[in-house]
Amino acid sequence: MIPQGLLYTNEHEWVKLDGAVGTVGITDHAQSALGDITFVELPPAGKALSKGDEACVVESCKAAASVYTPADGSVTEGNAAVDEDPSLVNSDPYGQGWLYKIAFTDAGALAGLMNAEQYAQFLEEQEH
Amino acid sequence: MTQKTILHDRHEQLGARIVDFHGWMLPVQYEGVLAEHKHCRTGVVVFDTGHMGQFLICGRGVAAELGSVCTQNAQALKVGRSRYGFLLNEQGGVLDDTILMRLGEEEFLLVVNAGTLESDLKWLMSHLTSAVALRDLTASGWAKIDLQGPRAYETLAPLVTAGDPGAMGYFGVGRYQCLGRDCIISRTGYTGELGYEIMADGEDLVAIFDKLMATEGVKPAGLGARDSLRMEMCYPLYGEELTPAHTPLEAGLDVFLPSDHEFVGWEALQAQAAQGVSRSLVAFQSASRRKTNPGDKILFEGNEVGVVTSGGFAPSLEVSAGLGYVAPHLTQPGRELIVNTGRAEIPVTVCEKPLYKQGTCRRKDVRG
Repeated sequence: MIPQGLLYTNEHEWVKLDGAVGTVGITDHAQSALGDITFVELPPAGKALSKGDEACVVESCKAAASVYTPADGSVTEGNAAVDEDPSLVNSDPYGQGWLYKIAFTDAGALAGLMNAEQYAQFLEEQEH
Repeated sequence: MTQKTILHDRHEQLGARIVDFHGWMLPVQYEGVLAEHKHCRTGVVVFDTGHMGQFLICGRGVAAELGSVCTQNAQALKVGRSRYGFLLNEQGGVLDDTILMRLGEEEFLLVVNAGTLESDLKWLMSHLTSAVALRDLTASGWAKIDLQGPRAYETLAPLVTAGDPGAMGYFGVGRYQCLGRDCIISRTGYTGELGYEIMADGEDLVAIFDKLMATEGVKPAGLGARDSLRMEMCYPLYGEELTPAHTPLEAGLDVFLPSDHEFVGWEALQAQAAQGVSRSLVAFQSASRRKTNPGDKILFEGNEVGVVTSGGFAPSLEVSAGLGYVAPHLTQPGRELIVNTGRAEIPVTVCEKPLYKQGTCRRKDVRG
């Protein structure tokens, strides 16, 4: 269920690293908890973000959630497809439903994030 | 202490996400708000509304007594008809919004909100004389489900074993049997679609619910869809659009204030009508999907002119929409306003009510 090769935060975001550029989205657990997603506020390209900054807001029928920045960097692209069709975040959270890409100042700063096994265990612990 | 409706176990079996709503554990969604909303607009859904109060009020002179405490003119209401209205305080503020149903010459059913049930009961007991008897049917195990959607009649008809609810017009009510069990059915709802509210003893209602769930094409729907459906129809939600601090005139519900009888709050409303209201409820929609929230400020030319009472994504309109109170000179459809959510300023346009105009609730010949 939880894809290998991605990094996970305890705020239920995932990061896929390609060199120094990361693609960020929310996990299947997060989209399921939010329910039908109706709107995503994406960061503009070029926006400088520091670790912990709110990068996006994801709105669902009954809730809204912030998506935080995993490490310092500069936004290179927001996913225009989810702006057009926010339900992609529900139907394909690890694929077409990605949210934004960010060029990290130091990708080494992501070392503290979880891998798939650790995130699976984290989810299990949260449920108990 | 949260209460469970008689259908609670069914909701869990159906995989519902449960929330606390005015002290009741109720499903907010099953498969998803958007799918349930759309299924109500195009097919048929069932809501558990067992949290709502049902008061049976009977006795000699009951119509005259009810007419003096409810805005509905109970004396003019025909047997087999129901009417929407209010319990008001002396200042004309809304204590609750209700549906009054006339079951017989001297027998009425008043359907009230869950959050106000106890205060309504006290208020009614203090205003009605001992000549009439008031029984809280919900306290003795009665419950309610709402069957809503263009396919509501064809779904209900095969279950009805005595009478034909298809003979009822919009806001009709009567006694029927479903699966051989006594029930009261009204052609009412909170969605804008053709629909029926079915009231019966809890055990009987479970059997009816199970039969409906086993019927092809019927889906359960939760509070999430109920809220987006009613918002698109601009139906007020008690606690948001209507409170003791708001009058029905401010809420634009003048049509539900008959001028042919006097009721508690009548004088205050006369005075307000003469003087003019200082705020009016409007419906608005945005060009974007980004939603507004209750409590957000409404701005015009940089000045605060009102407040949002309901806001959210409107699935049938595919944009964000809402309701809010604004200064009375800003209510004309087409007026452009700004909603400040604290994070963003969202341009919105005042619209005619209802926002969703294709509802089937008033359909004439439901038997096709």
